[in-house]
Amino acid sequence: MKKSKALVLILILMLVFLLGPFLVIILSSFGSEALMKFPPKGFSLKWYDKVFNIKMFRTTFWISLKVGLLATGTALLLGIPVAYTVVRFRFPGKSVIELLFSSPAIVPGLVIGFSLLRFFIYVSNIPIIVGLYLGHTAILLPYTVRVVSASLRNFDPAVEDAAISLGSSRLFSFLSVILPNIRGGVVAAFILAFITSFNNIPVSLFLTGPGVATLPIQMLVYMEYYFDPTIAALSSILIVITVFIVQTAEKLLGISQYV
Amino acid sequence: MSQINIRRTLLLLLFPGGVFLCFFFLAPLLFVLVESFTGLDGGVTLQRYISVLKDPQFRQVYFRTLKIGLIVTPLAVLISYPSAYVINNLSVGRKSALMSLVILPLMTSPVARTFAWIIILGRFGLINQSLRALRLIDEPLRIMYTEGAIVIGLLQLFMPLMVLTLVSALENIPDEVEEAALSLGSGRVGCFFRVIVPLSFDGLIMGVTLVFTGCITAYVTPAILGGSRVLTLSTLMRQQALVLMNWEAATVIAVVMIATTLVLYNSLRLIRPKNL
Repeated sequence: MKKSKALVLILILMLVFLLGPFLVIILSSFGSEALMKFPPKGFSLKWYDKVFNIKMFRTTFWISLKVGLLATGTALLLGIPVAYTVVRFRFPGKSVIELLFSSPAIVPGLVIGFSLLRFFIYVSNIPIIVGLYLGHTAILLPYTVRVVSASLRNFDPAVEDAAISLGSSRLFSFLSVILPNIRGGVVAAFILAFITSFNNIPVSLFLTGPGVATLPIQMLVYMEYYFDPTIAALSSILIVITVFIVQTAEKLLGISQYV
Repeated sequence: MSQINIRRTLLLLLFPGGVFLCFFFLAPLLFVLVESFTGLDGGVTLQRYISVLKDPQFRQVYFRTLKIGLIVTPLAVLISYPSAYVINNLSVGRKSALMSLVILPLMTSPVARTFAWIIILGRFGLINQSLRALRLIDEPLRIMYTEGAIVIGLLQLFMPLMVLTLVSALENIPDEVEEAALSLGSGRVGCFFRVIVPLSFDGLIMGVTLVFTGCITAYVTPAILGGSRVLTLSTLMRQQALVLMNWEAATVIAVVMIATTLVLYNSLRLIRPKNL
């Protein structure tokens, strides 16, 4: 069974199904007609030109980038201590803590966004961008806790104990001994969390408003009004960037084991 | 370190993240939950639930959503098991290369991923153009805005999750186990079903749970491929909240979605193969 041709064929067909659509979208972004057809007619770069000339795409790109970086940074700052606690200590109520920090990944994103909106309206009028930042941080926490925990588990606790018994404080030994050893995991957590935030729609859907949107939300709005290869061009750019990031992160960190 | 010191350290480490989630995750959810049971007069009522659950459109959408999950999940298992098996038997380098390709649909912008299916399934899309070129059809088939389109889109999105969980489950089975079964006279198919599947069963259940709950709560795929013609639970909730401004109904749908997810999460875990 190790090398059955039928099984290999299934794998190849699956890869075509998973990745073929990306090839299709990249090819059709170079078509010259406004009507989305496949195979596309002609060759043109005008849709790429259009992407960069639409101001809303530029504005929302920067918002997505800002929210993604801030939320990822915050989720790491809050999540690393939690991961450390969960991996290194045994204490009553640990399973409750683990459940709490994994639940934003279990509760549907749409429900999280919806309830945050209701909550923000009720409690106070929080600016849209702050609401987005808080909502994204909440949904990223499970990722940072899980990925950093996984890499902490691979680190021998005896090394830390040695540092502490030699007189290093717990904080100093964490920063000087543990952190350098789990930096691969921290970088993987950063990449996964940032991608999750940058691509998020369900949570952002309820937290964006007039004037302030994220890039994926803006793409959805654009699609409601226009159906031309502009979105294909923008999608192709995002796909190429994603492929580059994922391939690099796989070579350097083995990112697929953390997903 | 003394007991008290440890306790203080623990509190200090868990406090910031814990407080954050209490404020910006738990409190809002509780708020919506309480709101869903509150009547106009401020008293406790089930009125909102009754009016939503009685609505035939809601029921149709609810069962359609479950049905989509029930179609996508077994398809994902059927395709992922053989694929995961092949991937797991590759050399470390090739395995990592393949996994980095398999996870791409999970990492790509959801709009990009779903837009690709419009180009493939649309009126002038790849499928219709090919069928017409082959003279198999005269009129383009309508594939977009059907349950089938949603199934295809969700299958592409969630199959990677199934492959990931299955590969990590298969990794934990020593090669010798399979060799032993084969040398003791087990056929290859028999070996797969009686040795490999039971030993990777936890991974399978994990994958099934992730894919099924994912299908039920997915938003972008049904929004683009189903549109307002074929609503699912999440697109119905969005429509009620942001288009019809019916916050009461949206609140109830939100609670129903969480409840369904939690029930699935906790009940699927209880499934065990008989002979383990």
